[in-house]
Amino acid sequence: MEKSRTSSSVLVEPVYSSVVALLIIVMACVELCDAVTVVDVYRLVQYDIGGVPFGSRLAALNHHAGSSFLSSSPAADLSRTVLILPVRELNLTFITEYIGQKKPLGGLLLLLPPIFSPQNIETEDGAAEYSAKDLLKEVLNELERLLVHANIPYPVYFGFEDEHVSTVLADIKKNDATGQPATATTGGYKLVVAAPEPRKIASPTIINIQGWLPGLRADGDSSQLPTIAVVASYDTFGAAPALSVGSDSNGSGVVALLEIARLFSMLYSNPKTRGRYNLLFALTSGGPYNYNGTHKWLRSLDQRVRETIDYAICLNTVASSGDDLWIHVSKPPENAYIKQIFEGFSTVSEELGIKVGLKHKKINISNSRVAWEHEQFSRLRVTAATLSKLSVAPDLLESTGGLSDNRHFTDEASISRSVKLVSESLARHIYGQEGKNIDIFADGSSLSVNPSYIRTWLRFLSTTPRVAPFLSKNDPLIMALKKELADHTVEVNVQQEVLDGMFTFYDSTSGKLHIYQVASVTFDLLLLLVLGSYLITLFSFLVITTRGLDDLISIFRRPTSRKAKTA
Amino acid sequence: MTIFHFFNCAILTFGPHAVYYSATPLSEYDTIGTSIKAAVVYLVTSLVKLVCLATFLKVSESESFDPYQELLKALIGFIDVAGLYFALTQLTHRNISQNHKFQAVGLGKCWAFADAVLHRLAPLWVGARGLEFTWEYVLQGLEANANLVLSISLAALGSLMWLRKNKPQTLIPIIYLFAGFVATMPSITSYLRLSLGWHFPEIVAFKLFASLGTAFISWQLFSACQRPSN
Repeated sequence: MEKSRTSSSVLVEPVYSSVVALLIIVMACVELCDAVTVVDVYRLVQYDIGGVPFGSRLAALNHHAGSSFLSSSPAADLSRTVLILPVRELNLTFITEYIGQKKPLGGLLLLLPPIFSPQNIETEDGAAEYSAKDLLKEVLNELERLLVHANIPYPVYFGFEDEHVSTVLADIKKNDATGQPATATTGGYKLVVAAPEPRKIASPTIINIQGWLPGLRADGDSSQLPTIAVVASYDTFGAAPALSVGSDSNGSGVVALLEIARLFSMLYSNPKTRGRYNLLFALTSGGPYNYNGTHKWLRSLDQRVRETIDYAICLNTVASSGDDLWIHVSKPPENAYIKQIFEGFSTVSEELGIKVGLKHKKINISNSRVAWEHEQFSRLRVTAATLSKLSVAPDLLESTGGLSDNRHFTDEASISRSVKLVSESLARHIYGQEGKNIDIFADGSSLSVNPSYIRTWLRFLSTTPRVAPFLSKNDPLIMALKKELADHTVEVNVQQEVLDGMFTFYDSTSGKLHIYQVASVTFDLLLLLVLGSYLITLFSFLVITTRGLDDLISIFRRPTSRKAKTA
Repeated sequence: MTIFHFFNCAILTFGPHAVYYSATPLSEYDTIGTSIKAAVVYLVTSLVKLVCLATFLKVSESESFDPYQELLKALIGFIDVAGLYFALTQLTHRNISQNHKFQAVGLGKCWAFADAVLHRLAPLWVGARGLEFTWEYVLQGLEANANLVLSISLAALGSLMWLRKNKPQTLIPIIYLFAGFVATMPSITSYLRLSLGWHFPEIVAFKLFASLGTAFISWQLFSACQRPSN
């Protein structure tokens, strides 16, 4: 009997331990799932300028949800609450005050209207909503400026209003109306974003792409041909880097540059129509960061090539729906070259019915701020001008393709007009036809501006976020731009540089938000009580029915009877 | 919803088994061996059922109640009963006591315990620990309770049918009727769910009532059969 017992126990033990080990492995592999909703959210940018921190400094989120700043008493502690605020109903004064006074908050989730979602790029908004759209654009610009220049110690995420989130928000508002904010003991909704700690991006790269279209060199002519450069910066910066598609700033410039390259490549493909100017097309990066990429690209250019540049035209935000374009220069307007360029543009613009003005802004060499791309050229004594619909130079990190710069706010017909303006002016200068009554890129001809080309490229750029530190050398966008330039030009070079040390960026730009509906702890305590009483009742019932009431009483009396026996 | 909730639902699902075990005089007999054997028989029966289901049933795309499929499922459910018969006749020690009823209860309890562990432990572990709160696991616990009572009744009726030699003639058809009712319980619940569109809470409530009813009736039958031998 004893032997069998020990042998059986010996057998049982290894089985037991392996079962326990298996259980532990199973426990470790089980993940959290089963949320009410899982939504894609995009984090506010986190960056440093010269060591000074800006943006949202945290990524992981795990708090209860609330719906407004006023949910309970003004002195309520919101440091463990995530506020869900739709941007359409946002009260800017409140949020400015909250962030300005650095009041503690568990987190912020800002909901953008669904029209800003990258999946809704095709849907058309009704014409009657234009005023609402403008107002929304204003609000978004204000909000973006506030968030980008503040140092926020809690996570801030942007999401889109879809049906799930809207129902959750309505529920939260109902709960908040009863006056009780959600905490661990009262139940409600919990928002969780499982994100690792954001890390610095070690060496953020900026990638410049240039295409060279050589001009016609006559036989026996050994001197260098003059060059005209057309430049546009393609990268963006905004409050949510994963949403910074910058349709106008500077998607319009990139699209315009590609179309101009296409038109001139058609002209230059036939030696009979090839001009006596070389054409240099450059797509530069680092635009929002004082045109760092342009600066590096110019310095990497062979000096002889740089000296042959007659002038450079920089394209920046050219989709003006109001028919007003500006040419910004840093050399004084009395300069002969500037006069010549401006006159060439004015003649064409009159024919097209566009108004073009000239704006002069002096460069301050001691100031490191570079507001326009042409200033980088001017610092190296190359004549350059920027064509833009903006009349005033933007501040640092302004008009760089943020939240409100969306496909729906960008007019593609105006891009076609700008392309026509630039290419016609350049062509007349190249072929010496200034002042003559000629329409080189006439509508309906084989050299007309192609609106569907513009539309396709604008659509592609409006669905691709292009913040430079997050683009690697093999990014599909860079590959696509390189291939397209290679199609239109003879020689393409890709230059990879490191962004200047003043700007530091952190990763973790998007994540998945899980919304859970949680019950309070008191509910579980109640359940435990009920269960306990149920089991005790069951136990007593069974004992009474099977063994009789006396047995039940004897169970509780046993200790006392034993004591009596020993005593 | 967190470990606390999981703990609560686990108590609800498995607590009654422990209570039955300790409250009735089962612990006085050496039933550990019988319990393990009963669990093994349950496992084998389940495997056989699965194989038969996989071979004979086709996957139905519609949610409607298909009588032929359900009939097949009920027939396969009788394999359950066959397994119970095997367990009752082969495993119980005839010489231990005249109180076959506790043997039956013990068997039924082990059967239900094996059923609860195999069917409910894994989903409970995976699901009840998440943050999301649903009533599902509490309802599953209640269903496990109902299953326990039903299994015990089935085992009791089974022992009445196969182990007792002297039964009052009038009661025999009633016994068989109730045994049949309890055995086809899965078919009845799926009928209710699919064709009448009842949701999970209503089915659980129905099961609880049915189990209480059958427990009471089988108890009455047992005591009725007990009287002649007294």
